[in-house]
Amino acid sequence: MRLNQKWQVAAENELLYHSWDDEFVVYNGATGDTHLLGLVAAQVLLKLQQAPADTVSLAEWIAPLQQIEPDDEFVFFIEQILTDFDSLGIIEHTQL
Amino acid sequence: MNVSALTPPELFSRLKEAGLFLQAGPFITHMQTSIRSVAEGIGLLYADYPLAEDTGFADFHVHLIPPANLRRWFRPQVLFSFDGRIPFKPLPLDQAFPMLEWGMNWCVSGHSHQYLILHAAVMEKQGGAVIMPAPPGAGKSTLCAALINRGWRLLSDELALINKASGALVPLCRPVSLKNESIHVIRRFEPCAVLSREVRDTMKGTVAHMKPPAGSVTQSHVSARPAWIVFPKYQPGAVTRLEPQPKARAFMRMVESAFNYSQLGPQGFQMMENLVDACDCYEFTYSNLDEAVAVFADLKLPVR
Repeated sequence: MRLNQKWQVAAENELLYHSWDDEFVVYNGATGDTHLLGLVAAQVLLKLQQAPADTVSLAEWIAPLQQIEPDDEFVFFIEQILTDFDSLGIIEHTQL
Repeated sequence: MNVSALTPPELFSRLKEAGLFLQAGPFITHMQTSIRSVAEGIGLLYADYPLAEDTGFADFHVHLIPPANLRRWFRPQVLFSFDGRIPFKPLPLDQAFPMLEWGMNWCVSGHSHQYLILHAAVMEKQGGAVIMPAPPGAGKSTLCAALINRGWRLLSDELALINKASGALVPLCRPVSLKNESIHVIRRFEPCAVLSREVRDTMKGTVAHMKPPAGSVTQSHVSARPAWIVFPKYQPGAVTRLEPQPKARAFMRMVESAFNYSQLGPQGFQMMENLVDACDCYEFTYSNLDEAVAVFADLKLPVR
């Protein structure tokens, strides 16, 4: 997986969110599935709903919100989240 | 007119011929059977329920059919018929009354999508309802039986019905299903409780049904406001413990306990969101019913 490849929320997905404290539940209207997300995963998804983004730029945007450095470990963490979203059909690569 | 207005022979005759139109919560069930144990069970546990003969309408038409062939003499069986269809495999004739109860639950959970339906017990006290979703074996029905014998109003032992428009809990007050050891636990806890005959060797083990308090039956038209979601867990020897549960996690567990969340789509999500928002959520571990009742008595209505 190339880190500079951009991701977007898959076009067919209609996502509904609700948060309590630092946890989110997300309903995907396209699949009928509901997911429990931690704060970082929710921030990734909310950011991708605004605009397509690649792994590194997502890490750079989210890290300050978490008050941490966007080091390699954090980038890897974001990449894992993106892989999970991809496998659930929530996000897809943008057509370049 | 209530079921208790019929003498046992009249009840049996009614069930055998035209059938009985029984009102339980928002549903009218038209029951027919010539099986005496079923008539006895209905006479005992549904005595306080109103008949709805004059409407000529029923939400569900169920018929418990005794064997018609050699099965009459050799390991006799019973069939459950719903609107003329046979949705389940036959069971031993001795299990006819539990089969009626399970079948009535299935009628509601599988066909009443005007509600969000959860596999949960619901009880109400002083204007607040507690919803107790739980997998089998968690001690939900035992705890429910104990609470309704200590002043809580029974809305349902099995199916929480949530009104789509108001989010209120709609009563579906029916007999409480007890299994195995919990039958003896409740007999000891409340010697005055009225229980049906024990039926052994069912798919759930030994089962008996407890008659709901008459007051709960007569208030079957009164909805309740959701106040608490409690996930019960019976654990032998455990210390009684009520622990707050994060709401997002409670939400996911509620989704798991729902029968028709997926069918309702975004509306199901929004209803669940409103429900969890309105409630304080807890995990509850218990082994002692008196202590459990005391903990529930101390629940404070959420401030919204």
